[in-house]
Amino acid sequence: MTALLRYQAALLLRSQRWLPPVVLYAAALGIGVRSGQPVLDSLGWAAAVLLPVAAWLVRVCTTDEPPAARACAGAATGPGRAHLASLLVALCAAVLLGVLAVGVVTVISDPTSTNRRTPVPLGAASGAGLLAVLACALLGAAVGALTTRPVLRSPGRAVPALLLGALLALVVTGSPARAAVGALVDGSQEGSVPVPVVPVIVAALLAAAATAVACALTTRRSP
Amino acid sequence: MGSEVRIRLDGVGRRYGLRGRWVLRGVDLEVAPGALIRIEGANGTGKSTLLRLLAGLDAPTEGRVAGRPRTAFVPERFPAALPFTAAGYLTHLGAVHGLTRKAAARAADEWLERFGASGHARTPMAELSKGGSQKVAVAQALLAAPELLVLDEAWTGLDAAAREELERAVAERTADGTAAVFVDHDPRRLAEVTDTTYTVVDGALALRAAAEEAACPGRPRVVVEARGPAGAEPPGEVVRLAVSVAEAEGGAYRFGVTEPRSDAILRALLGARPPWHVVSVNLYEAGSL
Repeated sequence: MTALLRYQAALLLRSQRWLPPVVLYAAALGIGVRSGQPVLDSLGWAAAVLLPVAAWLVRVCTTDEPPAARACAGAATGPGRAHLASLLVALCAAVLLGVLAVGVVTVISDPTSTNRRTPVPLGAASGAGLLAVLACALLGAAVGALTTRPVLRSPGRAVPALLLGALLALVVTGSPARAAVGALVDGSQEGSVPVPVVPVIVAALLAAAATAVACALTTRRSP
Repeated sequence: MGSEVRIRLDGVGRRYGLRGRWVLRGVDLEVAPGALIRIEGANGTGKSTLLRLLAGLDAPTEGRVAGRPRTAFVPERFPAALPFTAAGYLTHLGAVHGLTRKAAARAADEWLERFGASGHARTPMAELSKGGSQKVAVAQALLAAPELLVLDEAWTGLDAAAREELERAVAERTADGTAAVFVDHDPRRLAEVTDTTYTVVDGALALRAAAEEAACPGRPRVVVEARGPAGAEPPGEVVRLAVSVAEAEGGAYRFGVTEPRSDAILRALLGARPPWHVVSVNLYEAGSL
């Protein structure tokens, strides 16, 4: 599995297809995050926009290998494992982006609530930010896994499904991403730092289920 | 030497989509270690689907596949659109096949050299010719000595020297206990060393008639004369590889062997405990044995 992860990570880095989603994320942060803004608000934004970026990274990682090369690696390890490796690499890339964003946001933001009356401890805030980022990366990866091959193979359907899925995952009631981001925004208004652990657990379960479905389908759809 | 993991297809059927037509149906096939099996059939009869099932790339719609040897697959056309050098890609794949990175890098260089592509080791895959990238695909499958080798028209696109080298490599691997299943348009491909030929007809697998088998044109054979310790019988491994075994004067034996397996039989003779002494190696045209 280590060799597969290494191979998939090298594919992602060398293909340079990671560039568009990373630029999108940087641009979204540039629009939504200003220095001196309340820290929890900015962390909420950083987590929310990571969700579509994570879904996009999954699409990049699962489509960057030509089918014949995929068959070579798949025969060696089983196509399910090969697919799992590409999903894990995408998730790791998304989490890495999120952690970097949390670091930057924590440094440049003001340690206050939205109304600037209550101080917000930066350490606890960045912890909450990391949890929210993790929840959004996991849910984004789940959306990505269900809207790329082998589940949806034609780009004509897969890309709109990815965009719609990412949007719904952010706004639908009961979504762990919405819960995690909402906890940060509410915490910012009340001047208290939330600990959104439950959304992370729910998002992890959803991501595991989506991954299991996607990996099981690798040998069942036509090549 | 080889493993004892064998793959067996029991009543395997495959169709794509819920109401698609059956590409294959009722296929029973067992591939023993060391077996070399050829699959024939007209275009679109399901040869490639059968190979994908054997390689584990497809799951059967009905029936089951039992046993999963360490498998390597060579696709018909290998794309150059990978962001690696040839050696870099092979090192990654060698590691994926279970080698350490050091061993993988060494095996990558060895196999590229065997296929006359060592000059392309540091060439980006995107700059390789069609034949060059096919050599990489073939090397990828051979470098970790798999237990099951699945070749889907692997010879297509290779130059003459590389085609011969691949035949030799496959014969060598099967002599070492690797099972190999292949599809190729050239009826003479590995003809002398193929154990069984199956034909895919209407989605079912049929054994090819023996009469057709005999019509295969022969190719040069090699006669190896060797002498063992006094009174020793030829090693079993050597007898298995040989087409004919004849006792010669002075306790020596003459082994007739097909050209692709000549290296393997010499290795078996010299590697026997105690080793045999090779007296002579001669080339005979087909039919003279």
